[in-house]
Amino acid sequence: MDILNPYYLQIVTFILINAILGISIYITLSTGQMSLGNAGFMSLGAYASAILTMKLGLPLAFGIFTGGVLAALVALLIGLPTTRLQGLYLAIATLGFGEVIRVVALNLEITNGALGISGIPSLSITLGKVFNSTGLAEALSLDFQVAGQLGLVVLLLLILICVLTFQLLLEKSRIGRAFAAIKEDEHAAEVMGVNVVYYKMLSFIIGAFVAGLAGALYAHSTFFINPTDFSYHKVVDILLYAVFGGSNVIWGPVLGAFILTLLPEVLRFMADYRAMLYGALLVIMMVFRPNGILSRELAAKIRTFLCFGKKSPGGDRQ
Amino acid sequence: MEKKSVFKKIAAMSLAAVMLLAVAGCGGGEKKKEADGGNTAKIGLVTATTGGAAAYGLAIKKGSELAVEEINAKSKTKLALLIEDEKGVKNEAINAMNKLIHKDNVLVVSGPMLSGTMFAAGPIAQQAGVPALGTSTTAEGITDIGNFIFRNAVPESIAIPAAVEKAHKILGFKKVAIMYSNNNDMQVSVFNTYKQVFAKLGTEVVAIETFADKDTDYSAQLTKIQQLNPDILAVAALYQEGSLILKKARDMGMKMPVIGNNGFNSPEFMKLAGLAAEGAIVGSPWFPEKQDEKVQNFRKAFKAKYQHEPDQFSAQAYDGIYLLHAAIEKAGTVSDRKKVRDSLASIKDFSGVTGKFAFDDKRNPKMDINVLIVKGGKFVELK
Repeated sequence: MDILNPYYLQIVTFILINAILGISIYITLSTGQMSLGNAGFMSLGAYASAILTMKLGLPLAFGIFTGGVLAALVALLIGLPTTRLQGLYLAIATLGFGEVIRVVALNLEITNGALGISGIPSLSITLGKVFNSTGLAEALSLDFQVAGQLGLVVLLLLILICVLTFQLLLEKSRIGRAFAAIKEDEHAAEVMGVNVVYYKMLSFIIGAFVAGLAGALYAHSTFFINPTDFSYHKVVDILLYAVFGGSNVIWGPVLGAFILTLLPEVLRFMADYRAMLYGALLVIMMVFRPNGILSRELAAKIRTFLCFGKKSPGGDRQ
Repeated sequence: MEKKSVFKKIAAMSLAAVMLLAVAGCGGGEKKKEADGGNTAKIGLVTATTGGAAAYGLAIKKGSELAVEEINAKSKTKLALLIEDEKGVKNEAINAMNKLIHKDNVLVVSGPMLSGTMFAAGPIAQQAGVPALGTSTTAEGITDIGNFIFRNAVPESIAIPAAVEKAHKILGFKKVAIMYSNNNDMQVSVFNTYKQVFAKLGTEVVAIETFADKDTDYSAQLTKIQQLNPDILAVAALYQEGSLILKKARDMGMKMPVIGNNGFNSPEFMKLAGLAAEGAIVGSPWFPEKQDEKVQNFRKAFKAKYQHEPDQFSAQAYDGIYLLHAAIEKAGTVSDRKKVRDSLASIKDFSGVTGKFAFDDKRNPKMDINVLIVKGGKFVELK
């Protein structure tokens, strides 16, 4: 039962949220776009949901969903000019966008500036109450806090599975193949009749939606948000999940988020040296696996292994 | 190629295995230790020992460690201090708090150190019913988190009015210019207090200028302020920014007194600002030159252990540990968190290096504020 310790459950909560964030950047990367605006979209989702649920008393589910939708809408607006940019230029433009959002949040009244918003309705407490009222917590003999935390973990896991399934289905569809074509060679894809701008926008907006969703979930599982949470460091963190785990298969960012969120906690016993070791491990991993831990070949092999030699469908091209 | 990648895979997998083992190992080890509680109370300290706020975090760590050392040398109720790094980052503080409470099973927590990290990690202590004492969390609304959240850091909403009102009485200024860091939650809160208290005194605010933490050039803001020629300058900044502002202002020939917040009350501030610090005013419970045995003994012991002068953060953290210890002794338990909370809340006549101390009914400190001014490179009382 030690696994139900709130400390472990909290780490799992962060892993799941970070995995969703990792997928959000993976989605835009799957059309070959390096967008660094995800922390900005995340903060949009977080602030929108926090304000809606606190000031207007709307239900959490609505707030979280609206957070994602708002991020997608803003992505639609800023995507029009920015998705026409490529490579580094897109990265810089979206990075700038993230900073703009942060500075706006820093100066608005409704976001409470640098002081941030505290006392955000907590998902785990809400879920704990649900558990209690249904008598489920008693049946499993869990205390209120553990029940709530466990409920949150289950909820996040379900959301992660939904996002994963969506993306996996997408990849097998016409849209997914268009994404892949654009990623391989934008000009060739255009010549073949793929509407490059449309599909790039689509992936940008889906990515923003997922990031906004993750941001809203983040706000409701940490009680408090302020603009510093969504600074440049967060962008690097998110990007790292995808790059470290492997940005060519969807399991990469999930694995990256898992390892990179767990690692600082595992290294706690090292006290002040843990940042050093963390950095060293990153460098070592990048030297040995410059394309991330999970490459396409490795993912295909694991799949074959898991399916007992069944021929794996697609996705294992070089 | 094939073989090589298989080899790397094995390496990666074994690394993952090692990490998992490490988690399991840590979990197993702690359990055994919990058995021998006896007369030792476990105190968790959540502070930033790395990252941008480490300058303050380390000061807090040093003050706390010194207090624990002294207490263990003379008291029957021993303390075990478990320090976790929060890096000044929200997630880290939440994890650190959770680890201390749920894995290490501490009795009470000192920290987290920043108002922002307290807002994020405080609710966890509240939910688990663990008393948490903020020794440097000065923002508005900290103890509203819940009845298990305490602080011995004087909120700026008390220290600032005390300093401003006394300075107003003695210096009689009429026009003020305010400068504050608008990307730091604490400084924004200070700015709001400034505005209120100047409005109350009827002082005209001629200019409000903002900057950001880690800025190094303040000439634009100061040029504007200089033209308006206020009688006094009020600054809300940490010591790095505060000292740079003062230096620039004095360079530009602005000679007016400058009121600052608790960032000014640091040996580092004096070191960095040098001669420019003359005329800086600050309200603080920590007054190193105070002719008090406790204060001077603390300074001596601190200097002997760390080879430098303590600052306000060390002093408050030092007092914080003594406060927690007093509460634990009074409660007569090293395991009942609720009892310790109640005895902490009832503390009335505690006297520490930051002066006489009691909690008000909202678990904020009630203590005397010294209003200090820099004269001849030293803080002296403003008279």
